[in-house]
Amino acid sequence: MLIFTLRRLNLFLFTMLILSILSFSLSFLFPGEQIINISGQINATPEGIELVALEYGKHESLITQYWIYLNQLFEGNWGVSMTSQLPIYGEILNHLPATIELTMTALFIAMVTGIPIGFIAAINHRKKADDFILSFAMIGYSIPIFWLGLLTILIFSIQLGWLPSAGQISLLYEIKQVTGIQFIDILLSDSPYKWQAFQNASSHIILPSCVVALAPATIFIRLARTSMLNVLDTHYIKAAMAKGLTFQQIIYRHAIRNALVNVIRDVGLQFANLVTLAMVTEVIFSWPGIGRWLIESIYQRDYTAIQGGLLALSCFIFLVHILTDFIYATLNPLARETHRGPQ
Amino acid sequence: MARNNIYQEEEFPSPLMQLWFHFRQSPVVKIGFGCFLFLCFLAIFSSLISPYSPVENHLDSLLLPPAWDDNGDVSYLLGTDNLGRDMLSRLIHGTSLTFGLSFIVVLISLVIGVVIGSLSALTKGVKSSFLNHFLDVILSIPSLLLAIVIVAILGPGLNNTLWAIVMVLIPQFIHITRNAVAEEFNKDYVLASRLDGANSIRILHYSIFPNIIEKLISQATLAQSAAILDIATLGFLGLGAPIPMPEWGAMLANGIDLFYIAPWTVYLPGLAILFSVVAANLVGEGMRHALKARKES
Amino acid sequence: MASYFSKQLQSLLFFTMSWCLFACNSENKASLSANSIIYCSEGAPETFNPQLVTSGVTIDATSKQLYNQLITFNAKNNSISPSLAKSWHVTRDNKKITFYLRKNVNFHQTDYFMPTRPLNADDVLFSFNRILDEEHIYHQVSGGRYPFFQSVGFSDLIQSVERINDYTIRFTLNRADSSFLANLATDFAIILSKEYAEQLIKQDQMENIDFQPIGTGPFKLKEYRGGSFIRYNPHEQYWGSNTTLKQLVFDITPSNTGRLTKLLAGECDIVAYPIAHEKITQNPKLALNDVTAFNIGYLGFNTAKYPFDNKLVRQAVGHAIDRQAILETVYFGDAKAEAATSLLPPSSWAYDSNIPVIDYSIVKAKELLLEAGLPDGFSIDLWAMPVQRAYNPDAVTMAKLIQADLQKIGIQVNIISFNWQEFLRRVALGEHHAVLLGWSADHPDPDNFFKPLLSCASAETGNNRTLWCNEKYDDIIHRALLTTDIKERKQLYFQALNIVAEELPLLPIAHSKRFQARSTKIKGPLLNAFGGIDFNGVSKN
Repeated sequence: MLIFTLRRLNLFLFTMLILSILSFSLSFLFPGEQIINISGQINATPEGIELVALEYGKHESLITQYWIYLNQLFEGNWGVSMTSQLPIYGEILNHLPATIELTMTALFIAMVTGIPIGFIAAINHRKKADDFILSFAMIGYSIPIFWLGLLTILIFSIQLGWLPSAGQISLLYEIKQVTGIQFIDILLSDSPYKWQAFQNASSHIILPSCVVALAPATIFIRLARTSMLNVLDTHYIKAAMAKGLTFQQIIYRHAIRNALVNVIRDVGLQFANLVTLAMVTEVIFSWPGIGRWLIESIYQRDYTAIQGGLLALSCFIFLVHILTDFIYATLNPLARETHRGPQ
Repeated sequence: MARNNIYQEEEFPSPLMQLWFHFRQSPVVKIGFGCFLFLCFLAIFSSLISPYSPVENHLDSLLLPPAWDDNGDVSYLLGTDNLGRDMLSRLIHGTSLTFGLSFIVVLISLVIGVVIGSLSALTKGVKSSFLNHFLDVILSIPSLLLAIVIVAILGPGLNNTLWAIVMVLIPQFIHITRNAVAEEFNKDYVLASRLDGANSIRILHYSIFPNIIEKLISQATLAQSAAILDIATLGFLGLGAPIPMPEWGAMLANGIDLFYIAPWTVYLPGLAILFSVVAANLVGEGMRHALKARKES
Repeated sequence: MASYFSKQLQSLLFFTMSWCLFACNSENKASLSANSIIYCSEGAPETFNPQLVTSGVTIDATSKQLYNQLITFNAKNNSISPSLAKSWHVTRDNKKITFYLRKNVNFHQTDYFMPTRPLNADDVLFSFNRILDEEHIYHQVSGGRYPFFQSVGFSDLIQSVERINDYTIRFTLNRADSSFLANLATDFAIILSKEYAEQLIKQDQMENIDFQPIGTGPFKLKEYRGGSFIRYNPHEQYWGSNTTLKQLVFDITPSNTGRLTKLLAGECDIVAYPIAHEKITQNPKLALNDVTAFNIGYLGFNTAKYPFDNKLVRQAVGHAIDRQAILETVYFGDAKAEAATSLLPPSSWAYDSNIPVIDYSIVKAKELLLEAGLPDGFSIDLWAMPVQRAYNPDAVTMAKLIQADLQKIGIQVNIISFNWQEFLRRVALGEHHAVLLGWSADHPDPDNFFKPLLSCASAETGNNRTLWCNEKYDDIIHRALLTTDIKERKQLYFQALNIVAEELPLLPIAHSKRFQARSTKIKGPLLNAFGGIDFNGVSKN
C-alpha cells in the first residue's frame, strides 16, 4: 500500500506541475498583456502595472516568473477578475462548492441507478430486458444535455409544477454562506425556517442533478454490464455453480461484489465527463457553480478568471480521480501490486 | 472462418473487409449506418436540396408552426423561426455544419493523432513515460472545458471551435494508437518481418496499420458522436458558429427565447442532434461488435 | 468494502430524509412568502449609487428603493411634488432656488451603520458637492464620473449650493435653466448620508459608500451577492408610508426565457421586460402591465471611427435598414410601439412631424455608398445590447435583421454582445462601429433627450455613444434652456432635430411601451412613466 500511495503521490505532483504550467502559460497565450492577464488589473495606471510586474517578477527569467506564480497561488493570490475586480480565489471558493454539491449528487444518482440496472442487464444477457436497457443507454448518452435540461424544465417545472427550475434554493430563505455547500450551510444556520429551507434546497437539486446524472448513468450501465458479464464468466463463479449454490446466492454473495470493484475503478475516469455535463447544466438551471461562472467569464473575455477557474476545476477533477483510485485500491488488493496502464 | 480452398495462397479478405462482413449482420446497425449515409448525403448536397436559403428572412411568415399544425403552411414544412427563416432549410444546412464538420474534425484529429501516436510508440524511456503522464493529465481535463479554453485563446468563431475540438480529440487518438501499436509490436509476425530486415517505418506501414485500422475506425465513430455534441454545445453556449449560421446548437440557443410560443424551434434542432449522435453511435457500436465477433471467430 | 457501503448508507439516509421532508412540505412556507416579493430583474446593478450611472438596470434596483430626492415626480400627472424637501421657492429671475427640508427623516440603520441624527442640510450639501466639487474628498471615489450631471452641465450651471440653516438649502445658478427642477427630481439626484461618509473616512473604506449604501428610502440593503441577487429589508423608520413587505429580493436573471420560466413556475412574483406576451395573457394567474414610456431605441454610429465618420455612409445605412420590419418583428406590433421619426416621441410637446424622415431604399443606399467611395462594402462590428429595455426588447434579433439588410448593400455585420456592465464600459471607450441602444427619459422636459444623448459634454463622459459633437447643435440646445417660453423653445428644438436628421449620428428606430408581468397576487403600482420602478406601495396577498 505504501508503494501504491507513493506512486499516486508522484502522479499527483506531476499532474499538479503540468496543470500549473498550463495555467501559467495560458496568461501568455491569451490575447493582451501577459501581466494584465495574470493579475487581472485592467484599470491600473502604467505605474500600477509596473508594480504588478515587479510583484510577478516580470523582469526575471521565465523559470523565476513561474516560481513566483506558484508562490502566489499558494498564498491565495490568484489575481482579480477583469470584469468585477473581485479576487479570483474568493470567487472560486464561492462557486466551487455549489459545483461539488451538484456533481457529487449527480455521481451518486448515476451510480445507484446505473450500476444495478447494468447488473440486471448482464443477468438477463441477450434477452429482451438487456436489449431494452442497452437501447435506453444508447439514447441516454446521445441526448444533448442542454436540450434535455430544457425539456425537463418544461415538463417538471412548468407543466407539472413539481420542481423549481432555477437556482440552489428559493431566495426567500436567508442562508448565510459558510461552506458554500447549501445543505451544510442550512444545517449550520440559525434561521427559524431551517427545515423548510432544507426541503426547498432538496427540491432544487433534483432536476439539475438528474439531468447531469443521465449520461454517466448510462455509461455505468454499460460498465456494470460488461464487468458483471466478465465476472460471471470466471472460474470461481463456475465453481460456485458447481457447488450447487442458487443463482441468487451466486449473484448476491460473489458476483456483485467483484463486479462492483471493477466499476469503481472507472468512476474517476467518468468524473471528468460528468463535470463537463455539469458546466452546461449549471448554465441552464442557473446553478451558481463554477461552470456557469467560467462560461460567463468567457463571454466577458475575463482571462484571469478563465485561468483560475480552469486550474481549480481540473484540480478538483483530479482529486476525485485519485480518491477513487484509493478506494479501488482499498477494495481490490490486486490493484496495489501492479501498475496499471502501459509502462 | 471455414476454408473451402485447399490452396495455401488463398486470398484473405483484408481486416477491414472482415469487419464489414460482421458489421452487416445486425439489422439495427444497418439502420444506423443507413441514417449515417443519409446524413452524409444531406451534408454534401445541402444547398441543392433545401427549399430556401438558410439565412433568408421571410418577414411575412414569422413563427409559422410545422405544416401538420392547423396554422402551418405546406411551403414551410417544418415551420419558420422568429425572423421567418425556414426551419427545414436551416436544419438541412445545419447538417453540413454540425454533422459534416464533425466528420472533418475527426478525420483531421485521426491523422494527427495516429502520426504522433505511432511515433511515440517507437520511443521508449523517460520521454515516453512523460508523454504518457501528460496525456493522462490532458485526458483528465473535461473535453468541453479544454475546448472552451482553446476557444478563449483563439477567440470565438466556427473555425476556432473546430480547431479546439481537433485538439481535444487528438490525445484520444494518440492514446489508442500508441497502445495498439505497442501491442502489435510484441506479436510474432512483427518479429518475423523484423528478422527479414524491415525497419520500423516499413513495419508500421505494411504490418501494423492494416491490423489496427479497424480499432481506429471504431474509435473515430465514437469520437464523431462526441464531436457532434461538442460542436453543438459550443454553438449553444454562443462560443461556436457566429450568429446567422444554422448550426444546430446555435439554432437551439436562438430558439430558447421562443420556447414557450414556438416550441418547434427548440424541439427540431434538438431532435436533429439526437438523431445524428444516435446514428454515429449505432455505427460505432456495430463496429465494436463486429470487431469483437471477428476476434472471436 | 465496508467503509464504502457505510458511506453509501449515510448518503442514502441523508437523501431519504430530505425526500421525506420534501414530501411533507408546504404549510409554513406560506408565512415566509406571504409578505415577500421576488422581482426577477434583467441585469445586475453596476453600483448602488445612482449618481454614478445612467443605466436603467441600476436605477430600477436602487433609486426609489434605497433613496429619496429633494423633489420627485407625482405619479399621476408627472408634476413636480415634494419629497425630502417639503417645499421650495424660486426667485423671479429663476436663478435662486431655496429648498425647505422635511424634519425627522431617518437614515437606514444597518449592520454597518448606525445613524445618530436625522437628515439635515449637511447631507444635501454633501450629496451635491460630491458631484460638483472636483476637490471634494469623495469626488474621485468610484471614478469621479457622474454621467447624468455632466451631460446636463451641472457644474457650469450651478454657481453655489449653500446651507442657510439646518433645514434650508439654497441653489444659486449662473443662468436660468428651465429644466433644473426636473433634473433635480430625477432618480439620479439622490441624497446620501454625510455622517456615514465620515464614518467611512475614519474606517478608511471610502469606496463602500457606493456598495454598502445608506439612504433614506423605504428599503435598506441586507445582502448583495454579486450578479446573483439583492436582498432588501424594509426601513422601519421610513418617513413616508411604510411598506407592508417583509422582504424584497431582486433575483438577477439576464435570460429572457429564464425570467419567463421563473414566472410560469411561480419562482418570481414580478418579472421585468417579459417576452411571449400571449403566453402571459393566456394564464389567469398572471397579469401583464404596461406604461407609456418616454423613450427611444436607436442605432448609434460611432462617428469618431472609420467608416461611420463619414456622413454619407451613415445615411446609406439609414436608407438600407427596413425599420418597419424591425417594428413588426422585434417590438410587439403597432399597438405596443411606434416607428421613430426623430429623437423625440410624439407625446413630447417639442415633437414636430415636419422633420424629414429617412426612407427605406436600397437604391439610394447604394448610391450613397458609391458617393462615399465605398461601393464594395466593408465589415463592421454591430454591438447589440444584452439586456431588454422597453425601447429595445430584443437587440440581438434586431441586429440579425440589420445584418440581413446591410448584407444587401455589401456591408458585413459581426454581432457583438457582452454582459451589460462590460458592454457599457467598452462602448463608452468607443470600441464599437455601431451600437443598438436607447434612452428612457428621466423627466418630461425634451432637454432630457437632446443633452444626454448627443451633446458634446456627454460625448466626453461616454453617455453619448455616437461620440458625435456638433457645435451648432450644442449651441441650439443650450439656448433652448435659457428661456421658459415654450414656443421659442419648440422652434429651437426643431432646428436641432433637423441637424440630427441631416447629420444622422444615430438612426431612430422606435418608441415603445414598457412592460412588466406579475402574478395576480401582487397589488399596487410599480411602473412609472419616468425613471425606475418603485416598490413602496406594492403589496402581496
